[in-house]
Amino acid sequence: MGGCDGRRRSATPLSGFSAPFVFGRFQVPADNPLTEEAVELGRRLFYDPRLSATGTVSCSTCHIQRLAFTDGRTTSVGVSGRPLAFNSMSLANLMWGPQHFFWNGRAATLEEQALIPIQHADEMAQDLGRLVAELAADASYRELFETAYGETSPAAIARALASFQRTLISSNSRYDQFLRGEITLDAKEELGRKLFMAHPDVKVSLRGANCIDCHSQFLTGGFSARYDGFSNNGLDDEEHLQPGLSAVTGNPAHRGLFKVPSLRNIALTGPYMHDGRFTTLEEVLDHYDRGVRNSSTLSALIAEADNRGEAAEGRISLHLTSGEKAAIIAFLHTLTDQDFVTAERFSDPFTGK
Amino acid sequence: MRKATFLKPVLLAVVAALGVTGWLLYRAAQPVELALYFHPFVGPEPLVFNESRYPNPGGEGRFKVRDFQFFLSNIRLVGATGAYVEPDSYHLVRFDGAEPAFVIVLHDVPRRDYEGIEFGIGVDAAANRSLTPRGDLDPNGRMAWTWEVGYKFVLFEGALVRGNASDPLVYHVGFDENYRLVSTELHGEPLDSRTSRLDFRVDILRLFQGSATVDMAALPDVKFDRADAARLARNFAAMVTPMRSDAVGQPERAR
Repeated sequence: MGGCDGRRRSATPLSGFSAPFVFGRFQVPADNPLTEEAVELGRRLFYDPRLSATGTVSCSTCHIQRLAFTDGRTTSVGVSGRPLAFNSMSLANLMWGPQHFFWNGRAATLEEQALIPIQHADEMAQDLGRLVAELAADASYRELFETAYGETSPAAIARALASFQRTLISSNSRYDQFLRGEITLDAKEELGRKLFMAHPDVKVSLRGANCIDCHSQFLTGGFSARYDGFSNNGLDDEEHLQPGLSAVTGNPAHRGLFKVPSLRNIALTGPYMHDGRFTTLEEVLDHYDRGVRNSSTLSALIAEADNRGEAAEGRISLHLTSGEKAAIIAFLHTLTDQDFVTAERFSDPFTGK
Repeated sequence: MRKATFLKPVLLAVVAALGVTGWLLYRAAQPVELALYFHPFVGPEPLVFNESRYPNPGGEGRFKVRDFQFFLSNIRLVGATGAYVEPDSYHLVRFDGAEPAFVIVLHDVPRRDYEGIEFGIGVDAAANRSLTPRGDLDPNGRMAWTWEVGYKFVLFEGALVRGNASDPLVYHVGFDENYRLVSTELHGEPLDSRTSRLDFRVDILRLFQGSATVDMAALPDVKFDRADAARLARNFAAMVTPMRSDAVGQPERAR
C-alpha cells in the first residue's frame, strides 16, 4: 500500500545503464532521472490499451517491438480508423540525434511528445483526466506511480513513458559489432559502408551515396544541433512541398524539411519516408539515385551529389550502379539488431510478448 | 589624550587606505568574463540567409547562403605576465539563431594586461583525429565527415543564381593542413568592465576572395580535393578580423 504511510518511498536509480562511446553525450532531464520504477511504469503504460478512449489502442499498436517499434503500415491507424498523416517512426536511441520529436519536430522533449498521441482524436482520443482516474483506481499502478513520482498525474504519465523510451537503445547490430572490432563486414557490406559514408567527389575519384550528409556515421540518425537534423530530401517538387519543419519554426526556408530518422533496424521499419511512400529499400535507393525532385529548399548536398559530376547541368542524379545500390542495401541490413527487437525488457509486460 | 585624538584620524586614514588597496587588489584578483561577439558579413553587407543578393566574386551571377558554420578553436589570451587558455575550446560558430551575432563567453579569465588573442579556424590535428566529444566537436554532427577523414572546418552551402538557373554551391573545407591560427593585438587594454567584450567581423566573402579569387560557376564545390581545399583555407585565414565595438550595430540599423 504505497503512500498509505504518508512517506514517499524513494525510487531506485536505474543500474547497469550504458550506451556506446561512439554515440556521444546524452542528457536525461534533471527533473526526470532514470529509475527502475519509472522505466517499469513507462513500459506498462506503453503497452496498456487503457491509454486510448476505446481501450483498444496502446502505444505498441503503432510501435511494435519486432518491427523496431514501427507498425509496417504506410501511415498509422488509431482509434478513429482514419489513416494518420505520418508513418510510424522507429523508437530507438532517442537520446541522440535531433531533440525535436515527430516528423516535423513539433515536440521539444519526449515528455512533451508522450501526451500528444494519447489525446489526438485519430490516435488514442483519450481524456487525460479520465486516464488518470482509471490508472489511480488500479492498485498496482497507484503504487508504481507513488514510488516513481509521488503522484498519479498526466505529468507522471509523460515522464514514465519518456523514461521507458530512453532505455530503448539499439547497440548490438552487426555494424555495432564491426565498430567494436568484433567482426568484419563482408566485401559487399564494406563497399556499401564506404558508399554510405562518402559524399561523392569526382575530382578525387571518390564514389559515394552521400547518406552520411544527413545520417550521422555512428548513430545513422539526424544531427542533434539546432535543426541540423532536418532536411528536404527531394520527395516533392516546389508546388507540392509540405510545410514540414516550417510549421514549427515559421521559417519559409524550412518548407519540406522533415526529421532525418535513425536508420537503425531500417530493414525492419518499412514503409519508408514520413508518409510511407516507399515500400522497399530498393525504392528508397532509386529515389536518391534518380528520383529526387528539385525545389527551393532541397538539400544543397543532394542537389550537388553526383558520381559523374554532371549535377551542375541541372540534372539531379547520384549515378550509382545497380551493384552499388545493392551494396548499400547490404550495409543497411547490418544495422538490424536482433537483441533490440527481441529483448524481454522492451516487450509487453502483460503478455510477455 | 591629545596624542590619542591626534592619532585617531591618522589611524582611520591608514585603515581606509588599506581597505581601498585591499579591495583594489581583491578586485584585480577576481577573474572576469570576456564575451567575444562574431558578426557575420558578406563583404560590406551583413549576412542575410537565403537571398541571392551577393555577386559571384570571380564571375557571373549572384549567390545565396543557405548554411554557414565553422569551427573556431583553441582560444588563448596572451600577455607578458601569463596566458589564459580556454579549456575544451571548440566552438561551432553559426548565425542561424535568433541573434544576429554569435557569442562565445570566456569564463574565469584572470584580470591581466593581455596583449593579444589567438584562436584557430578549424580543428587542430589531435582533436581532428579523435572521437571524443569536446566542446562543440561531435562525431555524429553535421561537421563530421567520417572518423577516417575528420571534421569539416568551414561549411558553406548555398546556390549560384544565373538568370533562371540555380546551381548548388557546396564548400566543405577540412584537412589537418588547413587549420589556421589567427592572432590579433589587444592594444594593451586591461580587462575591465569596459573591455569585457571584444567584437569580430566574420566576412564570408573572404572565403572566395583573397589570395585566390573564386569563380563560383567554375568551382561550385570543394570537398576532398586537397588543392581546392588549400585555396579556400589560404583565404579563410583572413575571414575573422577584429571590429571596433562602436561600429557594431550600424549594419543592424541599416537593415
